[in-house]
Formats: sequence, C-alpha cells, structure tokens
Amino acid sequence: MAPEPLKLPVSVTSPTDLNRLLRELTTIDEQLLQLRVRQPGTEVKLPKTSQLLDQTVILNGLNLLQPADRLRLGQILRAVQQRAPVLHLSFSADPSPEFMAKLITWLRQHIHPFAMVTTGLQFNIGAGCIARTTNRSFDFSLSQNFARNRQLLVDRLTPPAPAAAPPEVTTP
Amino acid sequence: MTIWWLVLILAALGSAGLAFIWLAVHVTNAGDKGTDAGDPLEDAADKDVEHIFNNEFREELRNRGRLHFEKIIGENAMFLQQDLRLTTSQLNEYMKTEITNKLKEEFAKYEESIMDAKQLAIESIQKTNTAIDEQRQIMGQQLQKQLLEEKQRILTHFETNTADIINHYVLAAIGNQIDLSDQLEYILGELEANKQAIIEDIQHGA
Repeated sequence: MAPEPLKLPVSVTSPTDLNRLLRELTTIDEQLLQLRVRQPGTEVKLPKTSQLLDQTVILNGLNLLQPADRLRLGQILRAVQQRAPVLHLSFSADPSPEFMAKLITWLRQHIHPFAMVTTGLQFNIGAGCIARTTNRSFDFSLSQNFARNRQLLVDRLTPPAPAAAPPEVTTP
Repeated sequence: MTIWWLVLILAALGSAGLAFIWLAVHVTNAGDKGTDAGDPLEDAADKDVEHIFNNEFREELRNRGRLHFEKIIGENAMFLQQDLRLTTSQLNEYMKTEITNKLKEEFAKYEESIMDAKQLAIESIQKTNTAIDEQRQIMGQQLQKQLLEEKQRILTHFETNTADIINHYVLAAIGNQIDLSDQLEYILGELEANKQAIIEDIQHGA
C-alpha cells in the first residue's frame, strides 16, 4: 500500500515556511535523540512545536514521536522544497493571512498541489497583482487593465462625430 | 494802385495852383508893358489912364486882385480840402473794399487750402482705415487659423494623454483604498484566465 501523499496546510505558503518546518523538524528530531541518551532521573523537557508544524502533522495524521514519521515528513518536505513551483506575487499592499489562505487554496487546487507563493509590494499597480513564474510574468494589475482598455476610455471621452444630415425629400 | 491815384490828384492840384500864379504874374507884366507906347493920343490916353489908373487905383486893384486871388485860393483850397476829404473817404472806402476783397480772396484761398488739406487727410485716413481693416482681417484669419491649430493640437494631446492621466489619477486616488480581500475575486479570475499558461510554464520551466 502506497503512502498517502503529503498534504500541506494553507498556512504553509512560501519556501520560507518550508525551511522553517524543516528546521523545526530537525530540532525536534535532535531533541528526541538527546532524550534517548539522557541520564535517568533528570528532568525531561519536551520540545515545543509551532502551529505551522502542528497543522502539518495533524493534517497528515503523523506522530512526531515516531522516528519513521519524522523521517518521512522530513523527506517529503525536502522533496517539496526542491520541486514545488514557486510563484512570486506582487501586491499593492501586504496581504492578510486569510487572503493568502484563499489564494493558496485556489492555487493548490487548480495549479499545483504544492504551489508556493512569495509576495512582494509594488505600490504603483493600484489594485490586482503581478504574478511571476519561472519564465513568465503575468500582469493582473488594475493599471494594466486600464492600459488594455485605454481605447474604450478614449472612445467614451471623445464626443461622437455628428451624423450626416439625411437627404432632403422634395415633395412635388 | 491807390497811392498812384493820390499822387496823381495832388499833382493835378499843384499844377492848377501854379497856373493861377503864372496867370496873375503875366497879367501884371502885360499891364506894365502897355505904358511904354509913344503916341500922343496914346500918351494922353495913357495920362488919363495914368490919371485914372494911378498908383493908388492900381494898388487898389492889386489889393482887390490879391483879395480875389486869395478868395479864389481859399475857395480852391476849400474845394481842394473837400475834394481831398472826398478822395480820402473814397480812398478809405476803396482801401476798405480792396482789403475786404483781398481778405475774402485770401480767406477763400485759405479755406480752399484747408479743404484740400482736409480732403487729403480724409483720403489718408480712409486709406489707413482700409489698410487697418485689411490687416485686421488678415490677422483675424491668421489668429483663427492658429486657434484652430492650437485647439486641434490640444485636443489631440488631450485624447492621447487623457486616458493615461485618468488611469494615473484613478490609481493614485483609489488604488490604495481597495482592500485586497475585495480584489481576491478579480485576482482569481485573472489567474483562472491564465491558468493554462501558468501550468505550462511551471511544467516546462527550468
């Protein structure tokens, strides 16, 4: 039976979050290893996990006390770190976590299950965003939209040409 | 011309006076010559004449002649004075008339000159007005042409840049006022529209 693919919580949005998870996992692994060689009777201090790691563990049904699960999670996270597509999105303001969660959900449903996002700020785009993939850039900003529809605005601003006068009908 | 008339009249009066004087002297000389004849009768007559026309009588005659001559001279002087007054008045009248005529002529010439100058000035003003009207018409046409060109240029500039100006203004005015949450639907719509291109770039990218 093949193991279930890793599910990433929507709070893990960027490669930085992945790195943080890996570092945290490594720290926990080392602390548990140290606990194994501890002197009997010494005080045990259990490692604390972050909310990000907790969500990941719960979402995937893992137990970090099990070395196999820790090993598997580490391997998968490294694989994701190496292969996950990263989109760079520039906004006019700092996105809220809720906004990022909705965006990541959509990206992982429609683009790639491990899609990662890095964000930046560009104040001149007004609204929308500019998405940059590995080789391409997609301008979804309001300014670009205005530029696309510039002729429409010009047509609305320009007064219509007077219609030609109808030919006179002469009655006998 | 009036001076010459005056001189002529004075010369005539002078000539008449001289003629009177010469006549009186000639008559006196003729009376003296008649006493030199040698005839006895004549001598007797002369004696009688001498007796009648003695020196006293002659003196009396001379006195009478002198008085008569003075009277004539006085009358002539009076006539001359009257004539001179009449001549003076005529001369004054003539001078007045002449001066009036001359002044009228001069005034007429002056008026004619003024009329000519006025006419010239009017013609010059009319020419100037005509030139000004033409120049104004030309300037008006040029101004109208320049106004049309400037209007067209401004319209072209406006049509060219208005969209950019409005876009810039709208972005600057409301760009930061739109919440990102409100933009999510628009962003997802754009991503959906370009989904295939994004997937292809992810799959085939380096």
